[in-house]
Parts: sequence; structure tokens; C-alpha cells
Amino acid sequence: MEMLTNLMQGFAVALEPMNLLWCFIGVFLGTIVGILPGLGPSATVALLLPLATQMNPTAGIIMMSGIYYGAKYGGSTTSILLNVPGESASVVTCLDGFEMARNGRAGPALGIAAIASFIAGTIGVVLLMLVAPPVAEFALRFGPPEYFALMAFGLSMVVLLAGKSMLKALLSMFVGLWLATVGIDMFTDTERYTFDQIELFDGVQFVVVAIGTFAIGEVLANLGNNDKQQMFKVPKGLRNLMPNWQDIKDSRFAFLNGSLVGFFVGVLPGAGSTIASFVSYGIEKAVSKRPEKFGTGVVEGVAAPEAANNSETGGALVPLMTLGIPGSATTAILLAAFILWGLRPGPLLIQDHPEIFWGLVASMYIGNIMLLILNLPLVPAFAQILKLPGYVLYPMIMGISIIGVYSVDQRLLDTWLVAFFGLLGYLMRKVDYPAAPLILGLVLGDLMENAVRQSLMMSQGDISILYTRPLALVILVMTAAVLIGPLFRQVAAWRTKVADQEA
Amino acid sequence: MNLWKAVNKSELVAAGLLVALGILIVTHANSWVYLTTAGPGPGFFPFWTGIAIIVLAILTAGKHLLEVLRRQRVEQIKWTGNGRVLLGWFALAVSIALLKPAGFVVSYLLLTLFLVKVIYGRSFVSALSVGVGSAAGFWLLFAKFLQVQLPAGPWGF
Repeated sequence: MEMLTNLMQGFAVALEPMNLLWCFIGVFLGTIVGILPGLGPSATVALLLPLATQMNPTAGIIMMSGIYYGAKYGGSTTSILLNVPGESASVVTCLDGFEMARNGRAGPALGIAAIASFIAGTIGVVLLMLVAPPVAEFALRFGPPEYFALMAFGLSMVVLLAGKSMLKALLSMFVGLWLATVGIDMFTDTERYTFDQIELFDGVQFVVVAIGTFAIGEVLANLGNNDKQQMFKVPKGLRNLMPNWQDIKDSRFAFLNGSLVGFFVGVLPGAGSTIASFVSYGIEKAVSKRPEKFGTGVVEGVAAPEAANNSETGGALVPLMTLGIPGSATTAILLAAFILWGLRPGPLLIQDHPEIFWGLVASMYIGNIMLLILNLPLVPAFAQILKLPGYVLYPMIMGISIIGVYSVDQRLLDTWLVAFFGLLGYLMRKVDYPAAPLILGLVLGDLMENAVRQSLMMSQGDISILYTRPLALVILVMTAAVLIGPLFRQVAAWRTKVADQEA
Repeated sequence: MNLWKAVNKSELVAAGLLVALGILIVTHANSWVYLTTAGPGPGFFPFWTGIAIIVLAILTAGKHLLEVLRRQRVEQIKWTGNGRVLLGWFALAVSIALLKPAGFVVSYLLLTLFLVKVIYGRSFVSALSVGVGSAAGFWLLFAKFLQVQLPAGPWGF
């Protein structure tokens, strides 16, 4: 009953004309970003971070989340029409989506992707609404040692954010942790790594690093890449986009499978929508009566991953809103936005700022409806965006990036830093150092250092406080399990290889 | 096998730079208080962060060399298109340097002209229309409509 009252209050907030407008702007931009290959939601959310921090937090988070889940809708368009995923979570959609397009069924493929996204997105929000408040209530028992353990757990998610090399992901994370120490130390007023630059006394801004490594890094990577793709024609008219009854019947399990898998994978910080879409595709294939047809253009091969990557958004917001743990690059930037607004995502957020949490939940219901309306009839129009040439798009992204970082504090040093981090982001891509752990370290570093120091002040220097309290111990054991897990997998793979060689 | 030819030099350079960064971090951290009576001092956290960076960078380089020694296939990083990237970045840096003396609109216009004409090889007319169009659009949207403060040149924009 209390939940329904809260939800109604959330709708009152979300239905305010300005919040509706920001929700629409968010999902609209998200769809465009999802469609454009190379410009991901994390880069766009980072780009709009300075603008969002000028807004009130509720409107800002409604818009930024709109971009986040809107991009998931748009991502399928290029996967189906170009065989190029608009964002990483749409990689699996290429497998059957592009084949459907080659078989002359681009319309139903786009249609089923939009319908699956709508159903799963809505189920994800319902589950977010049901799961988040009890998790937050539980987390109210946390003190500094538990927070230290939680931050360690958050940092351990680097394992899941790692690309090809765990060592490189860890290095990226530690550089982020170091960047978090730049500035004046709040406990002792000591200047750390400021190199006598007054502008660095407040530390390195998240915005600068995020825009640099993601947006500018992405633009530079695209400057070096001149490939052109052949796109299939998008059928005109709603009727040609609608899947037939058999398609819906074939996809009914995929809707449910994708929704549940997506949400629960999303709750695990670091797992992300790419994993969710792969897992749901795998399950769909495993239980299918026609597994051999997967990859040749079956409709459930589009519905399952699209449902999973949309439902994952609701799941990913659970650890962010209730524990302050970002599980992906985009949620790390959303966490940065909360901190810039002076808010601390965590157990008290829902209690102290119900309008933000419930307003966001309600806006996601509304946003999903907006996206369905935008994506079904307007797909042909959106697909035209793919014709926007790089020589128009990329200089504009550079311009918005400069405006974005400069508008925060009107400091020219920030624009130099964004150029520096842009080049760094590009080089990191080239040598396979993932950028997401850098942001993770930067966002969580400060919180972690504070938690350690507060804990040790409480215990007068006795380090055992960090691991003797039951809740902290449980979280630390979980952290160790996450960190050691890949080692076991490597050992198992090595043993199999040795056994094969001996046989 | 010629080890130097087989290794991916970019990997080693990256690891070397990270070791240097780690040493810089640790050197600075050593000049601050490590532990106080109330717990860790300002040097504690950066010290261990620096140590971790040094150790991990050495491990990364070592792992790469081991892969080469085992004669495993080591992927070479493709630096094709790198000249365009560096030119693009250099243009961005120059436009940032011009922000204070020339203002946002002019510096961004010059950046766009350079990117469209030189990097993308489009005609001067295309470069000019994209540059003028987007610079004017940004100025109207951000400076006039949203009242965002942008660096202004001697001509007021």
C-alpha cells in the first residue's frame, strides 16, 4: 500500500510538464545515440553531465536515465540494418536481426525489438520498484567499516568491467583511485598532487575525465576509422514494421526470459547489459525447439537479447540507488551526477529524497511508453540519422565537450584536461586498457579512502575493525570471491589444456 | 627468435609510463604523513595506490614478455589512421589555446574548418557551412538561450 502511495507521488513528480519534457528529451536523445554507432550512452550522459548539474536533481536524473534506457531501444536499429551494434549490448541482436533483414524481414525485426524492449523495460521498472526499497532498508545498518567493504566490493566489479586483460583493468582502476586523491585532503588540509595549481585544489572533476576518455576518446577513434557500411532499406508504414502473430507467439518465452535474466544480471554490479543479452540469447537457444535455426534470422533471437538489455537498466539502478555502487560506465557517470548535486546514492536516498527515486521510477514507465511510440512508427525517420556524415557529427561532439567542461566552473584548465584525457582515452583503447575501471576508481576512490580513515579513527588505529564486523566480513568474503573467481576459471582452463596435451 | 622484434612495443611503453607514474605517486606520498594517532594520514592511500600501479605495470609487461617467449601469437596494435587522430587532437589543442584570446566561437570555427577540410578532405564551402552553422548554433543555444558562460574574444563572443 505504501509502495502504491509512493508510486502515485512519483507520478505526480514525473507528470510535471518540465519533467515530462526532460524525460522526452532524454529518451529521444537516447534513441539517437543508440542508433549512432560509436557514440554510446556513457559518452552522451558524460557530455550532458554539466548541463544536468545545472538542473534540479529530479529533472536531471530523469533526463540522464532516459538517455541510458533510450539508447538500449535505439541500439537495435543499426544491429538489424547495418550489422553494426549501435552500442555494445546490441552485439547479439546482430546475429539474428541482420539475418532477418537479409531475408527481407527488416520491418518485423525492428518491430519485435521495440515490442520486446517495451515489455522488458516495463518489467524491469516493476522489479526495480519492488526490490530497491528493501535493499536500501537493509543497507541502513551500514557503518564506515561496512562502507569500506562495500566500496571494496564495488571496486572488485572491475573484474566484470575488464576487457581482455584483468591486469590492465586493475591498472586503469588504480590510476582512477590515484586521481581521486588529487586535491586538498579533507582530514588534514594537505595539498596532494596539485602541482601548485589552484584549480586542482578541488581535485580532478569526474566530468572532465568522463567526457575526455569517453566522448573525445570516441571522436578521436572515429577520426582514425573511415569505414563505410551498406544499410538495408527500412520499410515505410507501421503495418510493415509490425511482426505477425506467429512472430509474437514464437517470442513469448523470449520476452519473459529476457526480462528476468536482464534484471537479475543488471542487479549484479559490473555484469552489464552485454552479458545479460548474451545469457538470455544462450538460454533462448538452449530451450528452443529449433536451436539449429539460431543465427539464421529467427525472431526470438532478436526478442531475447533486446528484452534482456532493456530490463537490465532497471536492475542496474538497484545497486546504484540503494548502495551507491555503479555497475557500468553509464551508472558510474550517473553516480558522479548525484555527487555533483550534493546527493549521496545509498540506503538513505530513497528515504531522504523519495521524490527522486519514485519520480525516476514513474518517469521510466512513462519513458518506456514514449519510446514505444517513438520507435515503432519513427524508426524510418531515425534511421536517416545514420546518414549524418562524420565530418558534421564529430566536430560538433568536440564543441559540446568543450562547452560541457568549461560551463561547470569556467576554468580553462578543465578544457586542457579534457583534451589530455581524450588523448589518454584514445591511447587506452588502442592498447586495450578499459576506461570504465578508471571512472570506477575515480568515483569510488574518495568514498573508499574516507571509509577506511573513518573506520580506523573509530577503532583508534585497529585495522581489525575492517573485517571483524559480521556484515563487513560477509561483503569482504563476497569481494574476495569475485576477485578470485576468474583465477579459478583460468586454472580450470589450464588444466583442461594440459590434460588435452597429455591425451 | 628476435625478442625485440616479436614484442609489442606499445605494451612495454605503456607499462613503462605506468611504472614512472607509480614512482611519481609514491615519491610524493612519502613526503606526507603516513600514519597519525587517529589513523592513516594523507600519504597512506596514495602510497599504496602508487605501489599497486608499479607492481601491476611490471606484471603486465612481464606477462606480455612471457607470452612472446612462449611463442604465442602476440597481436600487434594497428596504428593505421593514427596520423589523422594526432592531427585532430592537435587541432583540438590549438583551439583550446585560442579560447582565451579569440573566444569560443572563433576557436571552434577554426577547429571545424580544419577538421572538415584537412582531416575529412571536404570542400572549403562544406567546411565553412558546417563551421559557421554549428558555431552559430552553439552560440545561440548555449550562450544566448541557456545563458552558459563561454570564453569570449575581443569581439564579445
